[in-house]
Amino acid sequence: MQPTDGADARQNRKSWSARSIGSRWQHRFFYALIRLAGRRAAYVMVVFVALYYVLFRPSVRARSRPYLSRRFPGRNALFRLWDSCRITVEIGKVLVDRAALGILGPGQLTVRHSRREDLLERIREGRGLILVTAHAGCWQFAMESLRMLETPVSLLLHREEGDVDLHIFEHRGDDAAFRIIDPAGPLGGALEMLQVLKHGEVLCIMGDRAIGGDRSTVEVEFLRGRVRVPVTPYQLASATAAPVVVIFPYKSGPGNYSLQVEKVIRVPEDLGRSPEAYRPYAEAFIRSLEGFVEKRPYQFFNFFDLWNQEPMR
Amino acid sequence: MTTVEKLKKVLVEGLNLEGLTPGAIDENAPLFGEGLGLDSLDVVELVVIVKKHFGIEIQNMDEAKGAFQSVHTLASYIEGRQSNG
Repeated sequence: MQPTDGADARQNRKSWSARSIGSRWQHRFFYALIRLAGRRAAYVMVVFVALYYVLFRPSVRARSRPYLSRRFPGRNALFRLWDSCRITVEIGKVLVDRAALGILGPGQLTVRHSRREDLLERIREGRGLILVTAHAGCWQFAMESLRMLETPVSLLLHREEGDVDLHIFEHRGDDAAFRIIDPAGPLGGALEMLQVLKHGEVLCIMGDRAIGGDRSTVEVEFLRGRVRVPVTPYQLASATAAPVVVIFPYKSGPGNYSLQVEKVIRVPEDLGRSPEAYRPYAEAFIRSLEGFVEKRPYQFFNFFDLWNQEPMR
Repeated sequence: MTTVEKLKKVLVEGLNLEGLTPGAIDENAPLFGEGLGLDSLDVVELVVIVKKHFGIEIQNMDEAKGAFQSVHTLASYIEGRQSNG
């Protein structure tokens, strides 16, 4: 692995955006299609749209290449194209599901929770619960489905200004099932996150994307390369004695999702402020994520080049 | 030792503020950004330090926002909580 070139990493950060690649009218077209013809018709359209993007928009292929080239090393050009099509179709279907859930209501999709009782047991400990997940499956749907915990859920999420892709609750025109804590807010949202845990509530953090400076991340091995991942969840766990549970939502079939509880991580108290102290827990998360992408390679939707990054500031 | 002095000492030790002595800390300087140079990751440690060294568990984070302005405001917050039992 070559050391990360600072200029490349900065360019990576500069050129990458979490905003949808679709325009406003394209989103509206899909929303109308879902309303008029249903979710399955939108799935069919997704295949054609995904093919168009993959074949005629090199930038779309480029977004998935860093991950796919490491998940499937040594693929020839034809297979690389196939992988790119496959993952683009899969995320398209997930976006359709997300919109369908908001537009047509909760009867559209079902979610199966593995080890639900485990989650409830951790909440009953009364120290709050930190869920660490990744950009996998339909994480918004997973958040919605956490209503079954009957405990308020907060999610650390930074939304880019001007993003035209609507959240489930925005389609419905009501309040979100979860509260959003913006890491770009005062003190990185740290006080809000602590408050959530102090109240014994659920805090959900993406463990696969670093938000913050170098001090809030450690570098770990992931798919034969080095990536920077956040230590914030584990530092919060150390400060509050809250258990950390690794979960991955994924699409298990048409209209079906599963919320997979991977493992419980216990972080000792008072580990201090050095990110290195939290490396074993960040490693444990990444090993779980590697297992997830091994089993479900087309359900990992992190289109940022994790292997060539400069942390957000 | 006053609360301000103790706080400066535990901040330097607890946050490993290299190259800084308790006496060199301006009690009115901002804790975050310019001033002491702490960042959001240190908020969590600050909460831990206040609990460990002063026996005060910060429950109300809205209050904490005001307290975490400077060493002086944090010391005042601690003294206020201590005097209220």
